[in-house]
Amino acid sequence: MKNAKLIAILFLLMAPFLYSCEEGTDVVESGTYQGTIDKVNPEETEIYVNTADDKRLELYFTETTTLERNGETVPFEQLQQGQQVEVEVEKVGQRLEPIAVRILE
Amino acid sequence: MYDPTFWRTEIWHPLTVHFPISFLLLATLVMLIALFLKGTQAHFWHRAGAYLLYAGCLAAWVGIYTGGLADGIVSRKICDPTVLKDHEIAADNMAYIFSAATLLVLALRLNLLRVKTRLLQVVAVLLMVVGSGFLVYAGHLGASVVYQQAGGVNVPAGDCAGF
Repeated sequence: MKNAKLIAILFLLMAPFLYSCEEGTDVVESGTYQGTIDKVNPEETEIYVNTADDKRLELYFTETTTLERNGETVPFEQLQQGQQVEVEVEKVGQRLEPIAVRILE
Repeated sequence: MYDPTFWRTEIWHPLTVHFPISFLLLATLVMLIALFLKGTQAHFWHRAGAYLLYAGCLAAWVGIYTGGLADGIVSRKICDPTVLKDHEIAADNMAYIFSAATLLVLALRLNLLRVKTRLLQVVAVLLMVVGSGFLVYAGHLGASVVYQQAGGVNVPAGDCAGF
């Protein structure tokens, strides 16, 4: 019984470490890239896109960022995890500004 | 001069992060000293360290929350958001490690763990030392965001118009 309690508490102590593995992000040159949306953060109008060459792009939408699906402008809420997208980005310093995002499916 | 634009969302982060920085570093030092003491002195220092740790851990999560609020604003204007991302990752690791240390210290103080208590005390202090390393690194990166990239800082016009 004592051992069971000890093991339960040690598992509880280890649990925080399971959540502490956040991924970093990458910087790429200005251009157009295709990839999959890994995460959408609606509160900050922010998306993470994993490109085919294994880069992870963190993109904060600006007032001028356009979002299209089948050639039509759509709201940010249309973006979902797992979607294939094409993003046109401009590198400003080490910051990536999304110029245009197109949903491919 | 009262300037209403000072109270911006991103300002809450620098206003809150200095509490965990001071509490947690001091808690680590106090707990480390307690390890080398005996009797009532050890008891006093351990209790003082534990209270600092509880307060610091709580303040750390407040800092993580306010950091999340600042992130979306600051990331859009600084020149190298990768530094901010590294700052966020280091801060998250720090908060989780100090949380584990807090749970361990709390379990020891509540007598939930009665075997190998001395060893577990040492483990808690080791976690705090590692957490302090992440804390210092996160602080260094945070300072870099503020002082090198003016993250969250209002940059006045060159001719100081408005002052």
